[in-house]
Amino acid sequence: MVPKIMKQGTLTPWLYLAAALIIMLVFIVYPTINTFVLSLRNKTGDAPASVDCRPGEPCWGIFENYRYALTNPEMVQALRNNALWILLTVPGTVGAGLMFAVLTDRVRYERLAKTVIFLPMAISFVGAGVIWKFVYYLETGGGPQIGVLNAIITALGGEPVAWLTNKNWLVNNMSLWVVWIWLWAGFCMTILSAALKGIPTEILEAARVDGATEWQVFWRIMFPMILPTVTVVATTMTINVLKVFDIVFVMTNGLNGTEVIANRMFKFIVTNQGRSMAIAVLLILLTIPIMIINVRRFREQEAIR
Amino acid sequence: MNTERIKRILGRIPLHFVVISLVIIWLVPTLGVFVTSFRSRQAVRESGWWTVIKGAPIPGKEEYREACASCHGMDGKALAEADLSDPEVVGDYVKTNRLLPLLREEIDGQPHVEDPEWQALIQDKSRTKEALDKLSPISQYLSTLSGGSQIAKYDLTMSNWIDALVGYKGTETYQEDCATGVSKSGKFKCDASDLLNPEGMARAFVNSLLVTIPATILPILFAAFAAYAFAWMDFRGRMWLFSLLVGLQIVPLQMTLVPIARLYSRLGLESSFLGIWLFHTGFGLPYAIYLLRNFLGGLPRDLFESIYLDGANHWTAFWKLALPLSVPAIASLAIFQFLWVWNDLLVAIILLPTNPVLTYQITNLIDPRGGNWHLLTAAAFLSMIVPMLVFLAFQRYFVRGLLAGAVKG
Amino acid sequence: MLQKKFALVLTLLVVTSMLLTGCPTPAAPTPTSPPPTPTSTPKAEPTPTTPPAPAIDCMGAAAGDEVSVIYQWSGAEEEKFNAVVKPLVDACGIKIVAQSTRDAAVLDTKAKSTPPDLVFWPTTAPLTLYTAQLKDLASLGANPDNYADYWIEMGSVDGQWLGVPVKADIKTIIWYSPANFDLFGYSVPTTWDELDALVEQMVADGNVPWSMGLESGPATGWTGSDFIQDILLVQQGPQYVLDLIAGKIPYNDAGVKQAYETYGKWAKDEKYTVGGAQGTVSTGFLDAIYKVFSDPPEAMMVKQSGFAGGEIAKQYPDLEYGVDYDFFPVPGAQGMQGGADFMMAFGDSPATKALVAYLTGPEGAAQWAKVGFDLSPNKLALGNYTDPALIKKAEALAGAQGFTPDIGDTIPAPFGEAEWKAIVDYINGADLDTVLAAAAQAQADALQ
Repeated sequence: MVPKIMKQGTLTPWLYLAAALIIMLVFIVYPTINTFVLSLRNKTGDAPASVDCRPGEPCWGIFENYRYALTNPEMVQALRNNALWILLTVPGTVGAGLMFAVLTDRVRYERLAKTVIFLPMAISFVGAGVIWKFVYYLETGGGPQIGVLNAIITALGGEPVAWLTNKNWLVNNMSLWVVWIWLWAGFCMTILSAALKGIPTEILEAARVDGATEWQVFWRIMFPMILPTVTVVATTMTINVLKVFDIVFVMTNGLNGTEVIANRMFKFIVTNQGRSMAIAVLLILLTIPIMIINVRRFREQEAIR
Repeated sequence: MNTERIKRILGRIPLHFVVISLVIIWLVPTLGVFVTSFRSRQAVRESGWWTVIKGAPIPGKEEYREACASCHGMDGKALAEADLSDPEVVGDYVKTNRLLPLLREEIDGQPHVEDPEWQALIQDKSRTKEALDKLSPISQYLSTLSGGSQIAKYDLTMSNWIDALVGYKGTETYQEDCATGVSKSGKFKCDASDLLNPEGMARAFVNSLLVTIPATILPILFAAFAAYAFAWMDFRGRMWLFSLLVGLQIVPLQMTLVPIARLYSRLGLESSFLGIWLFHTGFGLPYAIYLLRNFLGGLPRDLFESIYLDGANHWTAFWKLALPLSVPAIASLAIFQFLWVWNDLLVAIILLPTNPVLTYQITNLIDPRGGNWHLLTAAAFLSMIVPMLVFLAFQRYFVRGLLAGAVKG
Repeated sequence: MLQKKFALVLTLLVVTSMLLTGCPTPAAPTPTSPPPTPTSTPKAEPTPTTPPAPAIDCMGAAAGDEVSVIYQWSGAEEEKFNAVVKPLVDACGIKIVAQSTRDAAVLDTKAKSTPPDLVFWPTTAPLTLYTAQLKDLASLGANPDNYADYWIEMGSVDGQWLGVPVKADIKTIIWYSPANFDLFGYSVPTTWDELDALVEQMVADGNVPWSMGLESGPATGWTGSDFIQDILLVQQGPQYVLDLIAGKIPYNDAGVKQAYETYGKWAKDEKYTVGGAQGTVSTGFLDAIYKVFSDPPEAMMVKQSGFAGGEIAKQYPDLEYGVDYDFFPVPGAQGMQGGADFMMAFGDSPATKALVAYLTGPEGAAQWAKVGFDLSPNKLALGNYTDPALIKKAEALAGAQGFTPDIGDTIPAPFGEAEWKAIVDYINGADLDTVLAAAAQAQADALQ
């Protein structure tokens, strides 16, 4: 709870919020409402979605666009992939980021190490596409492998692997997840590192003097203290992964079993507004569980402080 | 040096090993492109970037020694009438499909090749494919001997960087265009002033800064106020408003472009810096508020109680306590907001078409079919410089003990 | 201490940025540079049939008038376009404010908020998306007589002439190395059966006949769609392709299936193509071109549009057109497949009219051919080309029995991507009937 003595007038909070709320209303809320409305309309937005129904085929009336968003095989594949993305890359990036933050904190070349891990964040996604082309490149003719991974594999006597065009869709997705973790671990590291630096040294030293091992110091003291930040980072990563688009678009465009929701949305954005907007609404609805988790944690935090 | 210290150093070896190997793994992909940015477009497609360490490969030496050295000599100069180190003589024969017909011909009634095995292979028309494959290293070695283009294209070059900097878009390189001191394409002055070419990087660099700096500061400023209200003020609807805000982060940017662009054209904000600042502010706010509120909310409650007991109000608490204490959070936020805006392409093309930013200028260097993409390797690094500087500058604010000092003070 | 410094940095940043934007910003970069001189030496003076260069009509545009345009060209292509419009810019003093983007979403946003005066787009999709906003080209001073009927048809919606092609490239051609063909004693096939026999002959000689590569980043699959459409032109003819585009024939028709199987026989087998199915799916389309002209060659032929010649010249500067690389039309194809960049007008200012009239008139056509920015579909461009490859291409286009646009580009998006997906999935082992059914569904959705 907010300390009693800090009570203020009813108007004051809104003055602090005003600028942010007005800007968000214009730039996010208004377009979102527009999106909801258009998701119930047809391709061009000039008639209800039901006009796109074809005789003899299932039809959800005004929710026709949602029928596509929920039942089309490619959308189903995209939903499956997005779920896998969240399950694997969120722990992957947060875990890697946390590990970097903790480990680099203990070495003298901290700045250098952090800068290197952070480096990928400074690259635009077009650049990242080129960079990974030189990692995953596969030469199928007689020439030398110019991709690092396949060069290593062939040097060790193995067969080169098609990292992005494999018949096994999991391989293709895994290759994309690796790129994502490479890109975003620096983000998690930076935020978590800021939180780690916020832990008063006295507490850590006291624990060490009491004979706690580094492992215990981390799990019993550091981790609980930065848990709010870990949640923030994990939430942000989940939301970003739900929206994942750039990497998939540049590297595979959703082919070979790598389709994701945002890429489906982008495909229809010009030619079938209604459908595109319905997919966007679906994406927005998928954040509801995340919001619930945050509200719960928010309440808990309020209760203990 | 006592044993205790040695033990400690030894105990830290695994740590160093882990950190250094992670750093290397993280660096390799980028390093590959960095090295590639110094290679010619031909070399890139023919060998891995790591081969630059070995220097230019000289293929076919062994094959040449076996097949030709007995007559022509290892340096190709043994026969005065057929000096293989003379580009004039070798001419087109560096191409295997010209060399084979030549070898099939007789010289003064004698077969060109003495070795019967070679002779059989060369003369058998049904084994042409085999002969081509076998001769290919030899023709490459001929190219080396006569100082052909095989060697030159493996030299490291700055031309990708120069082309990207001046905005050279033709099919050769800027240096070739300016080889005579006068630009063949007529686009350049062939002196330092080309760096200011409007289609080059310099102008776009300034535009990028003009867009990015305010678009980084505005959202953080507004978010700090809002986050403070969410963290330390009590008002109705606080909880649901905040959770809605968490949800707003998901709104895909692409959805908002059409309504906002329409709004801007009505308000006369199209192609204005103000318009693009406000847009990025809007999209930066949800995350900024979310992060800052969590940071501020995590600060010890007694800090705020004590400053209140000293007679402060919210305004002073915000400026004197909340803001200084959240410097690490603000620093990380600033880094990322800066990055996102700096690397944005879509919003810049739509809302600021007349003042091309760096990302937009870079895509203009590349042909739609992917030609000139080697320029991207250099351009990507040019555009990375500023974000890296920002990171290095702001990293200084991730300092331990800010909070501890405040508690004590 | 630290906090104070931090605050100082922040304030400084704000102040400097405000100052900077307060300054008058220089005008947007405009293409004012002279055209690049053609690299090949021009042949004799223009043919006598060409009338002496007439004066350029400015259509009442005043010096300093601006025309805003959106196109996909960038890099060297943009340079060539600037060279094409240079005479008009010089004569009338108008300014062309160009924006280059490949993103349909960008065009869409602009069209719905602040439409540019002119759009140059490689598909006719904007015609159906923005029909009500586009201006009839005849009213802007364009002359339909300068274009073949099929071009006018492709650019018309409900009897209104809204789009005119300014740049075209032919796709129904196969690139090969004459030097290699000579060495192996191959001759250029003139019928499909001869091509089939040639392919088998190459396999017998130990050669790999084809080099195929579908990979092209976000556009992966398009080279396969070009190949299959050429097979359709051989097996079914142009009307069949046009019926597919119109939706009269579903994409899972037996004829389409047959074409896929013909293509798949080659594209999935490492006897016929470099690397077999894996090679076809993983190889970049540019790499696929290079493989035919490397030393020694990895393959004998690559089916690729006219632009391939330029890519070969860039990768292998030593090779000579006509000796080391050349092309022949896909044998037996009834009609030519091609791509064109269409010009469409949202605006009708005098400067816009001047640009439209110039590009569709004799001066623009001749200049287009002289600059050599691929082919100009304008009839008056013929005879003005100087590049030998372009001359041959222009003849092939002019002599085509019929013309079909690219199926995937012409059926509204995202059908094109559904088609690419069908091809990639098929080559990677998916069931042909299933992938064609999915593409047919997308075709029906798009044409609804």
